[in-house]
Order: sequence, then C-alpha cells, then structure tokens
Amino acid sequence: MNTLPQQLANGLLLGSMYGLIAIGYTMVYGIVQLINFAHGEIFMTGAFGALTVYFYILPGGTSMWAAVPLMLVGGGIVAILVAVGAERFAYRPLRQAPRLAPLITAIGLSLALQEVVRNFYPGADKARAFPSLDTTHDLGSVTIKDADIFLIVAAAVCMSALAWFVRKSRTGRAMQATAQDPDTAQLMGIDTNRIIVVAFAIGGFFAAVAAVSYGLKYGNIDYRMGFLMGLKAFTAAVLGGIGNIYGAMLGGLVLGIAETMAATYINNIPGMQQLGGQSWANVWAFCLLILVLLLRPQGLLGERVADRA
Amino acid sequence: MTTPVLEARDVTMRFGGLTAVRSVDFTVNSGEIVGLIGPNGAGKTTFFNCLTGLYVPTEGTVSYQGKVLPPKPHLVTKAGVARTFQNIRLFANMTVLENVLVGRHTRTKEGLWSALLRGPGFKKAERASEERAMELLEFIGLAHKRDHLARNLPYGEQRKLEIARALASEPGLLLLDEPTAGMNPQETRATEELVFAIRDQGIAVLVIEHDMRFIFNLCDRVAVLVQGEKLVEGTSEVVQADERVVAAYLGEPFEGEPADDTGTAATAEETDTADETDAAPAPPETPAAGEDTGPDTAEPDGTGPQSTASTKGDTP
Amino acid sequence: MTETTKTPDTPGTPSADAVIAPDRQGLIPLPAAAARALTLVGGIATVASTFLAWTWTADFPGDLTVYGYPGGLQWLTLVGGALVALFALAGYGVRGLGWLAPAGPTGPAVLTALGALGVTWYTVIAIAVELGGLVNLEPGGYVAAVASLTTVIGAFGLPAGADETRRAKEAFTAYLKAHGRSRLRLAIAGVKFLNAYIGKPDHIAAPQTVPGWLQRLAVTAVTMAGLGIFSYGIDIPSEEGETFIGYLVVIVFAVWALHTAGLLDRFSRLVAAHRGFALAMGFVAAILFPFTQTDDHYANIGVNILIFGTVALGLNIVVGLAGLLDLGYVAFLGVGAYTAALVSGSEFSKFSGVQFPFWAAALTGAAASLVFGVLIGAPTLRLRGDYLAIVTLGFGEIFRIAVNNMDGVSGPDITNGPNGIPSIPDLSFFGFNFGTAHDLGGFTIGRFANYYLLMVLIMAIVVLVYTRAADSRIGRSWIAIREDETAATAMGINGFRVKLIAFALGATLAGLAGTVSAHVTYSVVPNPYQFAGAAPPNSAFLLAAVVLGGMGTVAGPLLGAALLYLLPEKLVFLQDKSLLAFGVALILLMRFRPEGIIANRRRQLEFHETGQLDVPQQTTLTDEPAVTKAGA
Repeated sequence: MNTLPQQLANGLLLGSMYGLIAIGYTMVYGIVQLINFAHGEIFMTGAFGALTVYFYILPGGTSMWAAVPLMLVGGGIVAILVAVGAERFAYRPLRQAPRLAPLITAIGLSLALQEVVRNFYPGADKARAFPSLDTTHDLGSVTIKDADIFLIVAAAVCMSALAWFVRKSRTGRAMQATAQDPDTAQLMGIDTNRIIVVAFAIGGFFAAVAAVSYGLKYGNIDYRMGFLMGLKAFTAAVLGGIGNIYGAMLGGLVLGIAETMAATYINNIPGMQQLGGQSWANVWAFCLLILVLLLRPQGLLGERVADRA
Repeated sequence: MTTPVLEARDVTMRFGGLTAVRSVDFTVNSGEIVGLIGPNGAGKTTFFNCLTGLYVPTEGTVSYQGKVLPPKPHLVTKAGVARTFQNIRLFANMTVLENVLVGRHTRTKEGLWSALLRGPGFKKAERASEERAMELLEFIGLAHKRDHLARNLPYGEQRKLEIARALASEPGLLLLDEPTAGMNPQETRATEELVFAIRDQGIAVLVIEHDMRFIFNLCDRVAVLVQGEKLVEGTSEVVQADERVVAAYLGEPFEGEPADDTGTAATAEETDTADETDAAPAPPETPAAGEDTGPDTAEPDGTGPQSTASTKGDTP
Repeated sequence: MTETTKTPDTPGTPSADAVIAPDRQGLIPLPAAAARALTLVGGIATVASTFLAWTWTADFPGDLTVYGYPGGLQWLTLVGGALVALFALAGYGVRGLGWLAPAGPTGPAVLTALGALGVTWYTVIAIAVELGGLVNLEPGGYVAAVASLTTVIGAFGLPAGADETRRAKEAFTAYLKAHGRSRLRLAIAGVKFLNAYIGKPDHIAAPQTVPGWLQRLAVTAVTMAGLGIFSYGIDIPSEEGETFIGYLVVIVFAVWALHTAGLLDRFSRLVAAHRGFALAMGFVAAILFPFTQTDDHYANIGVNILIFGTVALGLNIVVGLAGLLDLGYVAFLGVGAYTAALVSGSEFSKFSGVQFPFWAAALTGAAASLVFGVLIGAPTLRLRGDYLAIVTLGFGEIFRIAVNNMDGVSGPDITNGPNGIPSIPDLSFFGFNFGTAHDLGGFTIGRFANYYLLMVLIMAIVVLVYTRAADSRIGRSWIAIREDETAATAMGINGFRVKLIAFALGATLAGLAGTVSAHVTYSVVPNPYQFAGAAPPNSAFLLAAVVLGGMGTVAGPLLGAALLYLLPEKLVFLQDKSLLAFGVALILLMRFRPEGIIANRRRQLEFHETGQLDVPQQTTLTDEPAVTKAGA
C-alpha cells in the first residue's frame, strides 16, 4: 500500500503545529529582534493551563464539544499571561542592554518555567494524561483523527485571523510600522510597548492553540515538551524567513513534511538503514536548519537578515 | 599633487525599485580634504556605505589607488581606507589604548598560535603596536588617559579617540562621517585643526557633514549630493555661490528634479550605517510589514536630529 | 549598539571621609567611645560564647554541646566574633592593626557584626526549630545571641560619615517611594540602605611601600588562607547542611567586609604587582588541596569542580570574550569524552582493541571537538549572534539524541546507546597508575586525587591559553567584536574569522577536558551531556557558572562552577531545585548584576590615582543581586 499520502498528511499536521508555534517566534523577532527562547515553554504552560481546566475546573464527564473551547480559553489565558509577564518583567528592562543579556535571560526563563511546572504542578514530573480525540476517519488512503481535524481547522482559522489583523486592523498596521522602525513609530504616536505586548500575547495564544492540539493528538503532555517543539518551531521560523508570519507557517509545513518524510523513507536509502525513525528525524530537522542557514539565511520568504546593531 | 587616491566611477545604488545613488563620479586626490554635503535623504550615507564596502554598488566601481575595492568592510580598511561613524561607535568597555590597538589590527598579523606561544616576535610586534598607538594618542592629546575606559571619556574626546583608532590602521584615506555632530563651536574648531594636521601627515580626508561653516572652512573641494545625484562640485566659493545648492537646501524646486523620487531617497537614507553587518544590500522593507507605512514613517526621523545639528552650526 | 551604563546611584564617599571625625555619629546615636566599646566587648563575648554549650543534644549537626571547646557552627560564630573584635580594635587605632582597614573600620565592623549576628541567630533559631522549641537551648546559646546582637548595636553606633548616613536614608526611602512597599521591596531597600551606609570610598590611600619579599609573603599567606577556607567548606559533610549555610553567611559578610575595608583593593594591587608569583601560588594552593584531605571523596568533589571550572573557563572564551552565546557547549565536552572512551581500550568500546596512550587520546578528543566546532560554527557565525545560540542549542540536543541512538538497534553501532561506554580503564603514565592510591611523603593520594592533580595541569593549560589569548591581538579583536561588530569590521577585523577561531578554540578546550572526565568517571553515558539536567555538566550549569562568576574573567567561571557544584552537593534540599535556581539566577543576574560576582576590568581601573570618574561599577563581592544597582 502506498504510504505517501498518509505521510504527507502527517507531515502537514505536524507542520501546522510547528507553524502555530513559529508565529510567536517570528512576531516577537520581527518587532524587537529578540529570539524568545522561552517560547517553547510558553507552549508548554499553555498545555498545562488547558489540562488544569479539564481536570480541575470542569466537572467530570463534560462533553469534549464543551471542554475543548474552554481548554483553549484556559490554556490561552495561561500562555498569554506567561508571555506578557515575561515581556514585562524579564525582557523589557533589558531593551537597552547588550544583546547577550536578553538571550541569557530567555534561557534562564526557559529553565525556570520548566522547573516551576515540574516542581509545583501535581504529577508533572512525569508525562500527564491529556484528554485525546482519537476517533478516526478513513479518507481513502489517508486516516486522520478528530484531533487532526481540530488542529487543521484551528491553524487555518488562526492564520486567517492573523493575516486579517495585521493587514486591516489599526493595531496590526501599527505593528508593521513598529517592526520597520520602532523609534520612528514611537514618534508617530504609536505606543510601542503596547505593540510589543500584543505581539507577545498573540504568540502566546497561538502557542496555546498548538499546545491543546498537541495534547488532543498525542494524549499526554510533560514539562519538557516545549524544548524540542520550541527548537523546531524556531527552525520553522528561520526556514520560512524570520520576521515573516506567512513564512512561519510555510516553514512549519515544509519542516513538518521534510521531517515525516525523513522519518519514514530515509532508511530505504542504502547505507542509511538505521537513520530513520522519530529520534533521527530530529537530527534531520536540525541538519535542515544548518543547510538553510548556509544556503539561504534569509529563509524562504524572508528578505533580509540585517543586523540592527 | 593630483594623484587620485579614491575614485568612484559611475556609482549607482538601487534598492529594489529605488535608486538611492545615481551614477556618481567622485574623486579624492592625495593630500586633499574633500567635503560631501547634501540635504537629508540625498544619499550621502548610502554613498558612504558604497565606499566602505558595506554595500556593493549596483553599478559602477570604487577604486583606491587604482585598485578596485573589495566589497567587504574589513578588506576596505585593510586596503587603506579608514572611517569613523556618525554616531560614535567606540568599543565602550575597552580602554583608550586598547581601542587604538584594535585599529592596528590590519597592520599586525600575530594569530592565535603566536599569542599562545609568546615568542620574541610576538613581544616585539606588541611593543611596536603599543608604541605606535601611544604616538597616535599623543597626537590627539589623549595619552594621559590611555587606561581609561572609552565609555567614560567626555563626548569630544570620544570623537577624537575614534579618529585615532581609524588612523591606527595607517590609512591613505580617512572618511569622517559627521565628525562635528553635537559639538560646540570650540570643539568644532579643534576638530578642524585636527583634520588639517591629519592632512599634513599626507592622509587624504573625505568629510561628510551638515555644518556648512565647518565644511567650507576646511575643504579644498566640496561636492553636493542631491537626491542621489551629484549636483555641483568645486571649491567652497563655487559651491556657496551656486544657487541650485541654495535651492536644494531650502527645499525649492530646481530644474531637472526627478519628480517622483522625494520619498524614496529618504527611505534609502534611512537604512543607516547602523543597519547592517552583512554586505547584502538591504531592501528597506521588513518582510512582514506592508508597503503602506514605510516611507511615511521614515521621514521625520531622518530630518529631526540632523537639521538641528546644521542650524546649530550655522548660527554663531 | 554600544553599551550604555548608568552611573551608580549610590556612589561611594570621598576619600577624606575615611578618616573618622569624632563628631560624626552612626545610625544609632551612641557616643563614639561607647559604641566602640560595645562592639569590642560584644565581639569578644561572641567569641567566648562559642566555648559554652548551646544545646543539650548532639542531634543538632556539629555537636554544640561541649563546654570549653567550639564545634560546628560555633566555629563560624567564633570567626565572625573575632573579625568584629579585630575591626573594633582597628577602630581604636591600636598600633599594628591600621592595615586592617585602610578605608576606615566602620563599614567592615558593621558587616562582620551582621555576619556574626546572622550565623549566630541562624544557629540558635535552627536549633529551636529543628529540635522543637526554645527549651533545647542551653544558656550558651542565649549568651551568643545577646552578644552578637550587642555587636550589631555597637557597630551601628560607630561613627559613620554624615554623607553615608544621609545617602543611605535617601536610598532607602527613594527605593520604597519608587516601588511601593512589600516584604521583598523592604528587604531590597534594606540592602540598598546598608550598601550606601557602609559605602567604600572610591579612592583609598596608597599603602606604604613594603619590601617585595613581604608583599610576596602576604600573597602566599592569603592564598594559603584561601586554600584553608576552601578545604574547610569542602570538608563539611553533606549531612550538615546547616553548617554549610553558616559557612556561606560568614564568607559572604567577611568578603564584603574585606571589600569595604579596602583590603581586597590592596590585595588585587599586590596580585597585579606580582602577577606571575600570584598565579604560581594559586596553582601551588590548588596542588596542595588533596594533601589537606583525608578522604578521597572530597578529592572527587575537587576534581569535579576542576573539570567543570575548566570547561566553564573554556566557555568563557566564547561567551565572555567573543560574546557568542554557545548553548550546546557541553556537547563538545561530550565529543571529547566519547572520543576518549572509544579509544581507551574499554571492552565495551566499539573499537575495544584500540588503546591510545593518553596524550594521543587527549589530542584526538580535542581534535574531534574542533571538527564539530568548525562544522557548527562555519555556517552560523556569518549570521547575527542569535542564530548561533539556537543552532548550538539544537546541536547539544542532537548530540544527546545521536549518542542515545547509536547503539546498533535504532542507529549505527558506535556509542552503545543509553548504556554508554563503561569500564574505561584508569590512566597510567610511566608506570604511575591513576587508579590506585599512592603514598607521597606520608600523605595518601587516592584515585580521585591523582586525577585531581592531572586536572590541575589541564586547568593550568586552559588558564594560560585564556590569559594569553585574551591579552593579544586576537583577544582584542574578540572583545571588539563583542562590543560592536560593525565598528570592529570597519577596523579591518574579519568578524567571521575571529569568531570562528574563538568558537573552535572553546570547543577544543572542552574536548580536552572531556577526555579527562571520561577517565575520572569510569564511563561515559549520554545523560550529562544535554542542555539542562539534574547533574552537571549540562550547558545550563556551565552558562550559569560563567554568568554568575563573571563573564570575561579567569577567576569568575572557576568560582561560579565551584559555587554551583558545591551548593547542591552540600545542601541536599537544594538538589531537586538546582535547575530552577539556575534559571532564576540567570534572570536576576542579567537584570541586576550582569557582570557577575567578579566584575571584569575593574582591577585595572583601580590602579588609577588620577581622580577620574572611572570606577564604573560597584564592586561588592556578593552574589545577592539586590546589593548592587550599577550596570543593570
């Protein structure tokens, strides 16, 4: 049987998740030229926020139709609070500091968030079960789960909404102006602090959407889930051209498909029999990042990687 | 003496659809002090970046002492063209002496191994470098502050130190980007003296400046850049007398104005010296952002601080 | 963008104030004579109290039940009390003690008194809490508590400069006004108050010239004292967490006091004057360390501190000098360790037949790390710095995944997967087997002590590489790149090239250290070589060590690694939280004290007698971020 369509679908699904997270990296980067390393952990806290809603707030036996939207709200609130809090208390005081300072802060934040969840969330030192949507549908040669449908719909809705927001809304246009030149934007009466907060908040919310999808799809979450996902979402953002929101989505999809293909097919290549599978797929994703940086550092849709010193 | 040191031939710089610099021919001869002036957004900085290797000109060549300059800033410096920055860019946490020693980088070649092994050659080279650096510090009058951190120097001394650092690379041509910005009249006069002294050492100097009085006092020749094109070139008297220059500065239309370029040239100017370390030409639009905000938002920033600088220079 | 630094908002006092005028009053309005007497008597009483029993049962760690002999925490109280008494005597102008406080004795007296108070009250409260009630205190405990409180009252009554008092009050109220009140804010304001109150003058009088041999003697004495203090700390058993906390309290306050007394400035002057000698003494002290130990377990702690310190110093070339954030640094250590393990002759190695002599294994390990360094660095270093951070983070993770999977089942058979490569044979040089204990002049040098001595040698190499590279054309170009890459390029520096050299050099040194660490630990397994993990060396640990200790310094990363390794080792309750602490520490340090404990370049600046405004940062030697405001 031909596995290609199924693998393509898997890649697309994985890629949408990367894309949703990558939005957070790319928006923040576009505006303040900061790689928010802690974004993977914001994704993780979003998942735990949603889990909290399901297990500790909603009464047992709530139908998933009611639960999922509420989990999105809960996860979104947590992720937005963490993201905005990080901006306000960790990054903002360092905006004029040498470049290494915010990067190190981001690393510290990432560690701290992981450890806070591990130490203080009940049972979070091991993987925790997450309500999953496992009902499968056969579409010809492709089988997908309810969770996959949720993911694809959520990603599409989020992306369209974001595209509309950035183009049409007043805040969105202010955001573009700030991305181009924060100082001038400020002179023009744009409250750049507010814009930056909005960017962090949108990134946080999208990460929460991705986190809920992740939980529904894989059925469990743990405190380290943000690390690799964050790393790969960043790869996706670079792949698509960091700073470009469409690039983030495109990069996510390309990366997801490439990774799935590598995991499935690379062991068919003579001499590489043992290099397939999920663990090695991470390695291939990383090799892809190195290749992109080598060949097209501005990314697929990016236009410049200028150093704003 | 009219051997050309720097020759820019037909230099054109385009960013996407915009032309920031349009077929500019420009020469600096040895022993000369040349000024480059022009209203904001005239493409001075872009042109400057073409000279220093930050941008690769879309068309035309820049050559130094007859050789075409490679499009990498560090190679340009190595070839013998040193520069200073409009907004002072010293190594703030290094000492005054160390700043100048960094300037000696291209004229020394001790690598990692020689630093680790510390042979006699290394010590000799270090000592020679230090002696040369101290000579330069004495030349600009900062020898007594050799061990101060650069960031603790007063503004005027920082400017001087930046010049000393540039001189340390033993250039044949020194490019000064607004050397008197933010200075009071006394400091400006001192800078004037310093530039003359540098010229007397046989180093040609190219100055970009807004302060007209400073430029006309200083320069043997002045070129005026307006909207990416060279409008006039000549002695101070010639340039001062040219009514097109006056018109350009006062913003009145003049003959042959390329009508559509006003906004775009300003945008190109916006991609300032600060903007890039990669040599790739940087289109002024950030990818994610649309077209609608770009040129409009760019304008006020460009005019604000610079115009105040020029009026300050003109009043006394 | 160039770094802009605010001027410290609580500058020190003019040097003239170091001489105490009699009409000046301290915070507590006491006649100067009474305050001095109170401090001195309190200090002596504190010392005396440690010869009494503080509790009735030996259940409390350190056995504080003996009359006539101090034990455990009492020793620390004794040290604190003795220091107060000394500074109090110096305040009396006792001949021969003037050198103790070139910058005036009031600040140091206050600080040592607070230190003594801290350790004493901590002990007394810990006894009451752990043993369940005040009844567990013997009279000696009460005496100690009262005596130490007396010293503090006396010390705050000591005449302080009017300026300091005023400034301190201003700093306190200004902070609260700006930030509002809460318990945390109140504590921060308290530290700000204290810092201004005991502020060290910017310039202290130059010391009398003493003969060179005396200076060298002083350097030797201080180094040996340092060795003694360090050994004492290492020897505190990990069951006695309380004692270790007391130890830290005394050290922090004592060092802070020495700083305010101006003694640290004097000492750094001495070190600068006799640089080679001081460095040599440092290494002598390091070599002597195993001879002070009776148990090889402590030499194991020592060798681990050396390994991690050395690796952190290598990372400091990359992060501190060149300003490149390398988040996968530990992977290079892993590459070195795995390479050494593969060619060690271990029967579990894929190449079990191969056994390189150590020098060859070390070179191979270093070379392998170098290759990976160039492979990772070359594509990324052309781009702006942030990319390097994330690519190295990825590389670190990939390294872990790869070694975990190269077990012949889910990947090629090279590293034996999660089981790693065990049974790495011990090293042997010229018949000297590192695996067995040797007797050396009456001292037994155990297995770990052998490796410890080898590691001292490796560290010496790395220190030499670091200092020589830093003070040269290439080192200057690294710093220039770190400060302002655009300007550096305009000065003719090929940014890519010098960054690659720094990155590759750092990788090579890590690989070198890795080869030794593989032999020390008998086996290599994937687990320690990841970004963040429970046990060092992970990249987060190394980065935290560099940042905490002080980026761009030699001593900083060593100190940072020692602290970060010892704290969880000695304070068992911290073990589970150490990563959390690293994370929080990184955030707070960047916010409040980016230069770390040991501020770089301050040494040079203090050699100026020109009256310049240069002394740029506050130079307090504590790791409490709130203590300092400068440079944030």
